[in-house]
Amino acid sequence: MATTTTTPMAFSGRPSVNWTLTFQRVITLVVILLLWQFALMSGLLPKITPGVPDIVTSIFTVVTMGNFWVGFGYTLFAALAGWLLSCAIGVVLGLLIGTVRPLDRSAALIVEFGRAFPTIALMPVMMLVLGATTNMKITMVVLAAVWPVLVQSILGSRRLDPGIVSTATVFQIPKGLWFRKVLLPSALPFIATGVRISASIAILAAVGVEVLTQVPGLGRLITLAQEAERWDNALAYLFFAGIFGWLVASLLGRAEGRLLRWNRQSDD
Amino acid sequence: MRTLTNVLWRLWLPVLLVVLWWFASANSTNLFVPPLSRILGVMGRDFTNGVLLQAMSSSLSNLALGLLIASVVGVALGLILGETKRLRLILDPYIHFVRSVPQSALVPLIIGIFGLGSASKIYAVALACVWPILLNTIDGSLGVEVGVRRVSRVFGIPRMLYYRRVVLPGAMPQVIAGIRVALPIGIVVMVVSELFASNVGLGFYILHSSSTFRIPETWSGALLVGVIGYVLVIGFSLIDRQILAWYHKSGAR
Amino acid sequence: MSNTESVPGGTLTRVSEDSLLRVTDLSLGYGEGADEKRIIENLSLTVGNGEFVSIVGPSGVGKTTLLKGLSGLLKPKAGQVVVGGGALEGPHRDVAVVFQDYSRSLMPWMTTRENIAFPLQGRGQKKPLRNKAADEALDAVGLGGQGNKYPWEMSGGMQQRVAIARALAYNAKVLLMDEPFASVDAQTRFDLEDLVIDLREKLGVTIMLVTHDVDEAIYLADRVIVIAEKPATVVDVIETGFGTHRDQVATKADPRFQDARGRILTRLRK
Ligand SMILES: Nc1ncnc2c1ncn2[C@@H]1O[C@H](COP(=O)(O)OP(=O)(O)OP(=O)(O)O)[C@@H](O)[C@H]1O
Ligand SMILES: [Mg+2]
Repeated sequence: MATTTTTPMAFSGRPSVNWTLTFQRVITLVVILLLWQFALMSGLLPKITPGVPDIVTSIFTVVTMGNFWVGFGYTLFAALAGWLLSCAIGVVLGLLIGTVRPLDRSAALIVEFGRAFPTIALMPVMMLVLGATTNMKITMVVLAAVWPVLVQSILGSRRLDPGIVSTATVFQIPKGLWFRKVLLPSALPFIATGVRISASIAILAAVGVEVLTQVPGLGRLITLAQEAERWDNALAYLFFAGIFGWLVASLLGRAEGRLLRWNRQSDD
Repeated sequence: MRTLTNVLWRLWLPVLLVVLWWFASANSTNLFVPPLSRILGVMGRDFTNGVLLQAMSSSLSNLALGLLIASVVGVALGLILGETKRLRLILDPYIHFVRSVPQSALVPLIIGIFGLGSASKIYAVALACVWPILLNTIDGSLGVEVGVRRVSRVFGIPRMLYYRRVVLPGAMPQVIAGIRVALPIGIVVMVVSELFASNVGLGFYILHSSSTFRIPETWSGALLVGVIGYVLVIGFSLIDRQILAWYHKSGAR
Repeated sequence: MSNTESVPGGTLTRVSEDSLLRVTDLSLGYGEGADEKRIIENLSLTVGNGEFVSIVGPSGVGKTTLLKGLSGLLKPKAGQVVVGGGALEGPHRDVAVVFQDYSRSLMPWMTTRENIAFPLQGRGQKKPLRNKAADEALDAVGLGGQGNKYPWEMSGGMQQRVAIARALAYNAKVLLMDEPFASVDAQTRFDLEDLVIDLREKLGVTIMLVTHDVDEAIYLADRVIVIAEKPATVVDVIETGFGTHRDQVATKADPRFQDARGRILTRLRK
């Protein structure tokens, strides 16, 4: 498996490669895989479970197959489109709600409800209304992924420093500029968290819709592989779904660290 | 007076939306978008004849069992990993990788392996919920004061007692926070696994009604699941606040 | 600008024709109706063009409140503020403020240059132009070449210089300063005081500075206005008559300085 150096939440902050640790990690992985294989041979795992060599072979054959990349592309597209839409909608609405008091009070219950609502429950209904289409998938992704961004944007805009508000008022900063250059950056540390959570939810929702419907994508491939009893392929797809999720999480974590350098510095 | 205006401020928009929905859908001819009155009527009917209650009890018990397993495993592993630095460092990347797998992708595999029954639902929920609980427990146990740790060592407190009376109470707020994060994930996975394949439960109710074109039932099932999810999450955060308030007052830290 | 020297003793009612800031019977407070709390009551003063006025008063008397009123952040309960001939309705193009708490008035997500140029951007100035103005302002406060740093990479004194530079670049007629040197160490404080005197001498800006430090008030100003009581109002006005040039040692040893100091301290002790 890929990672030995940095993880989003590495417990040790050392950037240099620690060879002993890497070695121990590799050994651990080998032991886990051997245990898997052993459990399989001794009948502890269900018969249908594929062995380690089969999975590894599948991982390599799957990447050479066109339909994997097509499926992956569908998932990526829907998750990305839904995520970007969620971010745009969530940030704009959230900053508005967070700064306009009457709006904040009126929308509080709806936001609370929407956040706690398991959106995936709406899928059958969405299927009826929109059909098994990419649009339906993106709609589902937005309905699921918009809430963390919205909630975090509201929280972020509430923490705008009164000193900074006075400054912007005295220097007569126009509304638009104020929104972009004062409110948005000030709320950004909170928004970034929402954006990060929203990205994993977007992937989760996209794959979830694919698993449950005929909409093409990585999730659909997993369902098909399972129905065809190609467990090795199913696990290979799962592996790539994990890699995808992990990559997105680490990339966003890193981008956040870079973008918000000022926040960490000014916190202490 | 002030609380009354406050309540009105908070309620008017949601109420308005529901009322709008009610009247906008009242004469709906779209087969797929039935009037809200019909949806609620169907929901009331299936509540009184017990169909929904039975579905709910099956879904919720699966959810509760899955969450329970996840909590026990997550807390136990979390305490061990929190206390053994080497192990934690070694497993860290793997935990993060496994956690990043979109939980919904696991559902077909788990159902494929464990079949249609309750067991597969419980495992799916447990497998999805264990990660936030595990990671939070690790964080919590790392937060236990060095001083407390050292004192326990000095007095030769036995290992199990140490875990039970020192680390676990110290990590408790984080553990509860982990369960709070896990709960909505568990609900989603419960719904997905039931929608994927089942013969009981709320997901089955939704699935079955939509495949037999009883559209109002589909809507009412979806709404009910949503409302249950909402009530569970809100309820848990209320309980959570209670527990934590008691916890901080008691000075258990 | 040098009219202060020509009126040594001074009178309380001078600078009528070239007064830049005129406050008449101003009352300020917080809350409305039954909850209303008056902080400032019936306060009147004028600041002439190019004059440096200090307002001194004990902690919590309402100095910040007064500056909020003068900068248009707080609506008067009664009375009015006139800036350059027009009654103040809200924040004004000719009024810039250096706030008490620099760390909360500079935006941590902007470099110092962006912080200074930001109000100019708000005014629609093009980027090269406003950056040039910002760099000049940085030069003027002795921070030339530090435009790319972030506020949190600087010491408190430097941050306050940036806040001053921002007010300068805004090119307002009146500069209001709210205890600008309260949260820096003594040496930095002297440096910043001399910087302000220097800027005033070079640029001829009109400055009103609010402080609870009596020495600072006298050292910097042409005129010291003492406010006290609850609600606060003007209780004394003192012309210092030092001219535009000051010296930390010589000026503070000047008998006029000592006299003013004694008078204000007695006044505040009452
Ligand atoms: N936003 C506000 N709402 C209500 N009361 C306020 C507000 N701001 C200040 N006050 C009150 O007004 C009074 C004067 O406060 P102000 O900040 O103007 O004093 P100050 O002279 O600047 O004090 P310091 O020297 O500590 O800066 C205080 O009693 C304070 O409690
Ligand atoms: Mg003040």
